[in-house]
Amino acid sequence: MTTEIIVTDSLTKYYGKIRGIEDISVKVPSGGVGFLGPNAAGKTTLIRTLLGIIRPTRGGGYVLGYNIRREINEVRDRIGYVPEFNTSFIPDTTAMSFVAFCARMNGLSYPESKQRASDSLYYVGLGEERYRKLGTFSIGMKQKVKLAVALVHDPEIIICDEPTNGLDPSGRVQMLELIRNLQTDEGKNVILSSHLLRDVEQTTDYALVLSEGKILAQGNIKELTANRRSTVSVKVKSKAEDLIDALESKGMKVWTEGTYIEVEKALGVEKEIFKTAFQLGIDIRYLGSRSSTLEDVFVNLFKEQEVQIQ
Amino acid sequence: MSDSFTDSGAYVRKFAFRPFEGTRRGRIYRLWAIAWQWWIHEWKRSKAVKFLIGFLIFTFVLMNMFLLAFKDAMLEMDPNLTTNDLLENNLLTMIRGIVTFGISFYVETGDGSSQFNFGGTSIFILILLVMVGSGLIADDISNQTTEIYYSKLEKHEYVVGKFLAFFIFGNIVLTLPYVFEFFLLLVGLGNIDIITALPVLVHIIVFTEIITITYSAVILGFSSLTSRRLYAGLTTFMLLFTISMIVSSLTYSGDEIGYEILFDVLSVLLLASYILYGATTVEYFSFRGVQTINLTDGVGLESWMVLGALFFYIFLGFLVVVVQVYWRHSK
Repeated sequence: MTTEIIVTDSLTKYYGKIRGIEDISVKVPSGGVGFLGPNAAGKTTLIRTLLGIIRPTRGGGYVLGYNIRREINEVRDRIGYVPEFNTSFIPDTTAMSFVAFCARMNGLSYPESKQRASDSLYYVGLGEERYRKLGTFSIGMKQKVKLAVALVHDPEIIICDEPTNGLDPSGRVQMLELIRNLQTDEGKNVILSSHLLRDVEQTTDYALVLSEGKILAQGNIKELTANRRSTVSVKVKSKAEDLIDALESKGMKVWTEGTYIEVEKALGVEKEIFKTAFQLGIDIRYLGSRSSTLEDVFVNLFKEQEVQIQ
Repeated sequence: MSDSFTDSGAYVRKFAFRPFEGTRRGRIYRLWAIAWQWWIHEWKRSKAVKFLIGFLIFTFVLMNMFLLAFKDAMLEMDPNLTTNDLLENNLLTMIRGIVTFGISFYVETGDGSSQFNFGGTSIFILILLVMVGSGLIADDISNQTTEIYYSKLEKHEYVVGKFLAFFIFGNIVLTLPYVFEFFLLLVGLGNIDIITALPVLVHIIVFTEIITITYSAVILGFSSLTSRRLYAGLTTFMLLFTISMIVSSLTYSGDEIGYEILFDVLSVLLLASYILYGATTVEYFSFRGVQTINLTDGVGLESWMVLGALFFYIFLGFLVVVVQVYWRHSK
C-alpha cells in the first residue's frame, strides 16, 4: 500500500532576495523517490528545509505525519541524511567512533551506539576498516561512512543528496546498489537527490523534477516516460525532405532531430516508412525505435519551461 | 551475518538489518554526547595538550614545595601570621596567576613584606585553552560536519554542546587542580580552621568557573568566525596577549590606571577576582610597578565597570557564536 511519507504545503525558502524554493506542494509516496533537477534547482534547499537545518520562509509540511515546524526533532530521529558536501569528518577519529557518536546524537545509548555503528559499517562494506582513522579514507569510503551515519539510528527515511559525487564507476555502482538494497531488502524509504538521471532511474520509482526552486513535474517514472512519445528514428542517404512530406501526407507526426527523422510510433509505422521510402526510391541507412527515457522527459520539460519564459 | 555478492560484482557484507527497538535518550544526553566526544577527541589528538597539562601540574608541585619549605620560617618571623593566612594568600595569588603574566608570592618578614616573583601560569593556560578551544567550531566548518550535526540536533543544542565541551575541559584543567591544591595545602600546612578557609575554596570554584566561561565565550567566538583552527587560535592568543601588553604599557605613561584597563580581558578578570573576594582597593602590577586602584571611591574605575566589562565580553562572545551558527551556517 502506498502511503505519503512527505507532504508539503506551499513550502518556500528565500535567502534574502534569492529564491531557494517556492510554493512546493507535494505528496511524496513511500518507497524510492528521486529529487531530480539541474544544479541550483532547489533540491538541497528542499531537503534542508525538511530536516529543519534551515527554516522555511513560509509554508510548511509533514514528514511521516510530524510537523516540520513544531516537531522537527521527531522528524530528525526518523530521517537518515547523507549530505552532498564532501565532508572530511573528524580526520583523526576512527570510523567506528564517529558513527557511534552520530548514533548518540540521535539518542541511542552508549552500548547500543557502538553495536549499531559496527553493524552499519559492515552493511556499507567498511567492516574491516572500521577502526581506521577517517583521514585515511578515500572519497568512496567517506561516502559509505556518510551512509553508515545515516543508517545507524535505524531511520524510516534515508535521504541521499548526490551520493555518487566524486565516485569512480565501480564505486558509483556499489553506492547505487547499496541504496537500492536499502529500499528493496530493508524496506526503507529512500529519497535520492541527484542531477544524474540514470542514478535516479536506476534506484527509484517516483520522481520529482525541480527547476529554479519550483516543481516542474512529479509522478511515477514509468508514467512520466510513458506520457512522452516513443518514436521511430530514421536516417536516409538523401531526399529526407521528400520522405518527411510523404509521411506527413499520410497523417503521421514527423520531425527532425539532427540528421535523424523522428516519426511518432504507431502500429505498423515501420512498415509504412519502408513502403514510402521504396516508392520514392530513397535508401534507408538506419531505422530503429527509441523509447522515451527520463532524460528525454527532463530535456523536454526544460525546453517547455524555456518556451514559457520566452 | 552472511556475505553476498551482487550482480555487478560489488562486495556487500550483508546482515539482517536489526531494527532499533530501544528508547531514545533525551536532549540532555545528546548535548552531553557532543561535549564528551569532543573532549575525548581533543585529549587523544594533541600531545602538546598533554604536555601543557603536565607542565601545570609541575608548577603546582614547585609552588607547594616552595611554600612548605618556607612555612616554618615565615611563621617564626611573624607571630601574627597564621597558617590560614598562608593558605589564603598563596592560593589566591595562584588562582589570580591564571590571568596575570606574573605571580608574586609575599613572604612576611619582621621588617615588612618581601616579594618573590614567578613567571605566571597564565600564558601556558591561555595557550592550552586556545589550542583546545579554537578548533571547536572552526574544525566543524572546515570539515563540513556541521551539516551532519544540524540534521540530528537543534542549533542551540549544538552551541550549548560546544560550550559544555569547553566547560568540561576548563573544569578539568582549572577548577579541579586548584580545588585539589586547596585540600593538599589544607593537609600540608596543618593546623588550619577549615570554616575560616571555606571562603577561599568558594572563591577558587567561582573564579575558575568565571575564567572558564569568559575564555569559552572569547575562544569559541573566534572559532566560529573562521574555518581554520590555526587562524582562530593565533588571533585569539595574539589579541588577548597583545592587548594585555599594550594596556600594561599605557598605564606606564600615566599616573592613574584609567579606563583602558577595561579593554584587557585578562586584567578585567583579575580585578573581578578582587571584587568578588570583597576587596575595595587593588594593587595592580604593571610595567610601571605597583599601582593602587580604589574601586569604590566614585572616581575613575569602579567595581561595576569591571563587572560590566566582564559581562560584556562574555555576552559578545556568545553573541558572535549564536549569530554565526544561526546566520552564516544556515545559508
